[in-house]
Parts: sequence; C-alpha cells; structure tokens
Amino acid sequence: MLSCAARSLPALERSCHVGTREARLLTERPWIRPAGKFNLEVTAEGWRFAQPHDEPKPAPQTGDSQPPPLSNIGAQVGPRPRLGGAATRVRPPNDMVVFKERLFYLLQPSLENLLAGKQIRLQHKPYPYQLEGIAFLMPRHAALLADEMGLGKTMQTILALRLLLQAGLVRRALLICPKPLVNNWCRELQTWADDLPFEVIAGDADARRASWLVSNAPLKLANYEILTRDAALLAEEPATFDVVVLDEAQRIKNRSSKTAEVVRSIRRERSWALTGTPIENRTDDLVSIFAFVDAERIPPNTPTKRLPQLTGDCILRRTKEDVLTDLPAKTIRDTCLELTPAQREAYELAEKEGVIRLNALGHTITVHHVFELVMRLKQICNFDPLTGQSAKLEQLHADLAEVADSGRKAILFSQWVEPLEVLARALEHLGPLRFHGRVPASERQGVLDRFRSDPTKHVLLMSYGTGSVGLNLQFANYVFLFDRWWNPAVEDQAINRAHRIGQRGPVFVTRFITQGTIEERIAEVLEKRRQLFNELIEQNGPPPSLGLTEQEIFGLFDIQSRPKRAAAA
Amino acid sequence: MAQTASASAHNLGFLTVLHETNGYLGGYLVTNQWGRPLEFRLSTSVQPNRIQQIIYGATLETYICADLIGKTLVEKTGTNAELIFTDREPVLDLRLHVDVPVAYFAMANEASVESSKPVDQSASVASSGVSSLRSSCARPARNGVGPAFCHPSFAADLPAARQLLDRLEGSLDLAEPFTRIREAIAEARKMGVTSRAA
Repeated sequence: MLSCAARSLPALERSCHVGTREARLLTERPWIRPAGKFNLEVTAEGWRFAQPHDEPKPAPQTGDSQPPPLSNIGAQVGPRPRLGGAATRVRPPNDMVVFKERLFYLLQPSLENLLAGKQIRLQHKPYPYQLEGIAFLMPRHAALLADEMGLGKTMQTILALRLLLQAGLVRRALLICPKPLVNNWCRELQTWADDLPFEVIAGDADARRASWLVSNAPLKLANYEILTRDAALLAEEPATFDVVVLDEAQRIKNRSSKTAEVVRSIRRERSWALTGTPIENRTDDLVSIFAFVDAERIPPNTPTKRLPQLTGDCILRRTKEDVLTDLPAKTIRDTCLELTPAQREAYELAEKEGVIRLNALGHTITVHHVFELVMRLKQICNFDPLTGQSAKLEQLHADLAEVADSGRKAILFSQWVEPLEVLARALEHLGPLRFHGRVPASERQGVLDRFRSDPTKHVLLMSYGTGSVGLNLQFANYVFLFDRWWNPAVEDQAINRAHRIGQRGPVFVTRFITQGTIEERIAEVLEKRRQLFNELIEQNGPPPSLGLTEQEIFGLFDIQSRPKRAAAA
Repeated sequence: MAQTASASAHNLGFLTVLHETNGYLGGYLVTNQWGRPLEFRLSTSVQPNRIQQIIYGATLETYICADLIGKTLVEKTGTNAELIFTDREPVLDLRLHVDVPVAYFAMANEASVESSKPVDQSASVASSGVSSLRSSCARPARNGVGPAFCHPSFAADLPAARQLLDRLEGSLDLAEPFTRIREAIAEARKMGVTSRAA
C-alpha cells in the first residue's frame, strides 16, 4: 500500500513580475506586401514614314495575252513559273543600325502583295528569284548584284529603283553603263517602268551641262565615256545623287584608271554595282569595285580569306543552276545597239543611194534587187566596210567575257561566213571554233568534239546554213544571233542546237538588233509573223512559209516602183 | 485623337495586341490602301499585378487590349485611318472609344464554332465569342481567311466595312500586315526599344 504525504512545494526564490520587451512590428517586406496600383498605365512611341508617291494612272492594259515587247529581257518561251511559296520581304541589312530605318523596311508589304495589288503595274511577272534580288537591293546603301548573265539584273535594278522612288526614299538616281547599252537600258525602262521619267545625258557640252546640273529628272543615264569627259561638272553641288548604279561594273576593276576615279568621286548616298562575272573569285577586281560600293568596308591590306566575311552581306550572285526551277527552258532577249558613227554614216549613204537605184529600176524591179540592198545594209550593221568598226562586236566582247568567266559555252550564228572569220580573229582570246561551209566536212565532228570537251573553248561560230538535224550542242547555255535570218523557223532551228532534250540548264538567246536600221524593221515584221504563226498553228497547222512576203520585202523601203505583173489570161 | 492634315480616306489601320509572359504589348500600323506603311506606333508592355487581375476580373483582357492599349495607340497616332482592322477579338471594343469603324478578323476555324450563349449586343463582345458577332458580320470566311466582324453596337459600320473590303478584294492581303507588326515588335524588343510601364 502506497502512501503519500503532502509536502510543501518548493518556494520561488524570486518574485514574479510582468514586464514588456520592445519588438518591431512586422510592417515591411516580406511580411507586408503593398497592394499595388489599382489602375493600369501605358505609353506609346511612334514613327512616321514618308508618304509614298501616288502612281500616275497606267497606260491602258494590253492584257496577259498580248505578246511581250520586242526588246523585253525575260521574254520567255514556254510555261511561266507561278509565283508562290513564301512571300518575298525586304529585310534590313546587318549594317543598318538606325531602328527607324530597319522598321521601315520590316513594315513594307511583301513584293508579291505589292505587285498583286497592282500599285505597280508590270507587263510581266518577275520570277521569284528576281523578287529576291529586288528585296536585296532596296534596303542597301552598298550592293553588288552579280547574277550570271541572262538572269535579269537590269529588270531587278529598274524595279528596285522604281520602288524606292515611289516610297520617297530616293529622289535622284544616276545610272552609268557602257555606251552600247544605253539604248538597251532605255528600252528596259520603258518596259519595266514606263511611268518613270528619265533623261539620257548626251549631246554637246551645253546640253550635257544642263542635263547634269539643271534637269530634275529623277533618273539620269550616262555612259562611262561621257562621265569621264564631264568629270568637272560632277564636282558641282547639283550633281549629287541618292543612288548611283554602275552597269558592267568590271569597267572600274582598274582602281587607278580615270574612269574608276571619276566614278568614285560622284557624290551619292547609295552605291550599287552590277556585273555578270563571278567577281567573288577575283580578289583584286572585287576590292576595286568595292572602292566604289563601300570604300570603308575593306580596310587596306585585308587578307583575301577575310573578304567573304566583310563583303558577304553586300553581294548577291545567282547562277542558272541556283534558279533553275524558276526559269523557263529558253529565254530570248533583244540587245538593241546604236551603230558606231562610222557605221551610221556608211549605212545612211548606202540606204539613200540604194533606194534611189531601186526607184530608178521602175517596173523592172524585182524582189532580188531589194534583197541585194537589204543584204548590203545588214552587212554594214555588222561591220563598217571601211574601218571595220562594229557596235555588235563591242557588246559581244563584254558578253562573251562574262560567259567565259562563268565557265560557260556559247554558240554564235551569222548569215555569212565573212563576219564569222572577222569574229574569230577578234575573239581569239576566247578560243573560238568555226563551224561553217568553209570547214571541210571531215573536220566538222572534231570541231564539235573539241567544243564539247575543251574547257578553253568557249564559243562556237556557226552559220545558219550548216549543221544537220542530228547536231547536238545542248552543253552550250548561250546563243547569240549576230545577225538574224529571214525566217523565224530557221532561227528557232539554230537556237535549238542548244535547246534540246538533254539540256540541263536554261538557254539564253541574245539577238543583236541595231536601232534605226533595216534590222529593226525586219525584226518587227518577223515578230508579227511569229505571233501569227503561234495563233494559226493551232487552228490550221503550220503555214507553208514563215519568210517575208514580197509585199513585206518591198515595204522595208520607201520604194515606189513595183514589178510589172503579167496580164491575166 | 491627334489631328492631322493627312486625309484618312483610303488609309487602313492594323492593330494587334500580343500577350506574352511579360505582359501585353500592342502595335498599330497605319498604311495607305496599297499596304505601304505611313506610321507605326508601339505601346509599352503592360503586366497587370494581382490586385488588378482581381479588380478587373473577366474584363481585364478587354480593358487592356481595347481601353488601354488600343485607345492609347490610336489617339497618339497622327495619321488617321478609314477603318481599323484587328486580329484580336478583345480589341473590338476599341470602337466604343474611337470614332473609326473597327473590324475584327476571326480565325477561319472560329467561324464554325457554335455557341449557346445568347447574343448580347450591350455586353463586351469578348466574353460572348465569335458566334455572338454573327449579326455584325461584314464578310464571311473566304479563301482561307476568317470572317470579318464589326462591333455589334455599331450596325452603321457594316456597310462601310463591306464596301471597303470589296474594294480591297484581291489587291491587299489583309492578314499580312499583322505579320509585319509582329516582326516589328520582335525587332523593337531585340533593339531594346520596348520597356515595362508598371
């Protein structure tokens, strides 16, 4: 049994008293969080852009069914590739640092929308790669467009200029090209920018001075020779441009030449250069051209291997293989040239005297008489009989240099053997081979084999009459018609030497036409015949002949005389 | 709205509001009838705090998109527009604050969504869905582009909107400018032009 006893609790030794201790209230974070603002606020920042110029009303539309103009680069044979896929947008280049400028280009509509919206009316739709070229040029102050020959650098440049002018970003532009190409540019401007006023700087010193300093045409064209001659005028204030374009820019590859110095001296905001040569493989040429395009981009003594890094954003080059899916199988373009002064003098004299002689024949005149005069004049269009000058040869030098530089091959056709011989001597550096009536039959196959296999042989000179059905030259991508045949079917047959099954790339055909001559008149008649052929062949089958009729031949000149017809029985 | 000498005739407005992790950001682009940019305005980013989310509740998005960002952008823009397009339905209520017709482009698949909610023209359209806008349809879905709706409280906007849409048919892709605005916003962000407001 347990027992318990009450025992006294131990007494506290100290008395209890209540005290307080100071402690901070929990009035701060993270114990207390403010409720925050009740209202929301926002501000805005904005950028205004120049009002685009209104386009004037376009000329009455001819419609897609109408044939392309005679000189249209990009005139195509075969189905046109459809524009589709991703939209082509203008992108600001990497070196554009001002936000508003970058914003402006980012906010531009796609080029497809711009064209589909018919703000800019075009006779033909550009190919997708050409839209990319336009998008490349537009935002750039420094650009080198180095597309392979035949891909439409001219058109891309014209449309880029047109868009910039319309957007108000550019007000004055200068385009410099070789003299033989001035008329070509004029025709292309009429095709791709018929609403864009332009002025060709030409004439005597007073006229040129007015063009340089007084004229307010938004676009001026000058050739390299005139530019050099008028260098002093370029130093004056009015000769300032928002964009300067150099065509065939390899003309300034010699940095110390007078031409290159004058070109670099032009006051400008944007510098664009066009060339068909593979410029990226030619270091010295590239550096010289960039002395114009962007003088500060390549520092002195830059190692060659650094050049791609420094210039890559400024260069756009496409080859035919790059844009194969966009291109039609065959592209025909007319290069319109102005006769040299010596040729013009000889031509006018021959035509005048020839027509007088034809009219003097009276009713004894025959088609053959007219043929003789036509042949004579066509020969003068090829070469001046006294001096040997040739506007066509001048242009051919530049074109074939691009072909050779690109590693391509070309076939050149003429109606006669003599011009081919002259060309063979003039183009010796390109390793020309001959294939015409004077080449023995036993040697002809060897010529073709050599043309195919020898990489140093870039051009084959042929006459229309030679060759057989089995002649295959589908490894040649370029065809030049130095002078044209009477019958478009014969021309087509010549062209098809290259454009055949087995041709891996598109074929570019260049037809030389001298302006203001019998060639131009014949070309117009042939074009109408070709259109008629295309329309009739589906209905009635091929017509018996596509050559010029007697009426058309007599119509080439101002001839009153006509052959006397036998009385009907 | 700021007055300007620019004629509003034929100018088009495109307004969108992006909702991202760091808030709402609006962009407003005014173009000519061909889609060429005339003026662009960018709002600062708006990130509502918790109190604001509670206070505004279901009306928060509409308030931010239309009353706050949309109204600010349009009022600050010097270039007037004939009609303002948007690809965000909450922006449609902007029409209650500006004297310009506003049209909302719905996504193509939204047009087929059936809603059981009655049409309530007095309430915010954002809460009712596309189906509630059927009575204010300016143009049905076409060629892969969703239908366009005006604000149901402004029936007078419909004829003007239809006329404008017919005029623009085939000449301008009306969905494309929103892509440009988004790219411009991305570029502004990359260059540090945008900043938080609150």
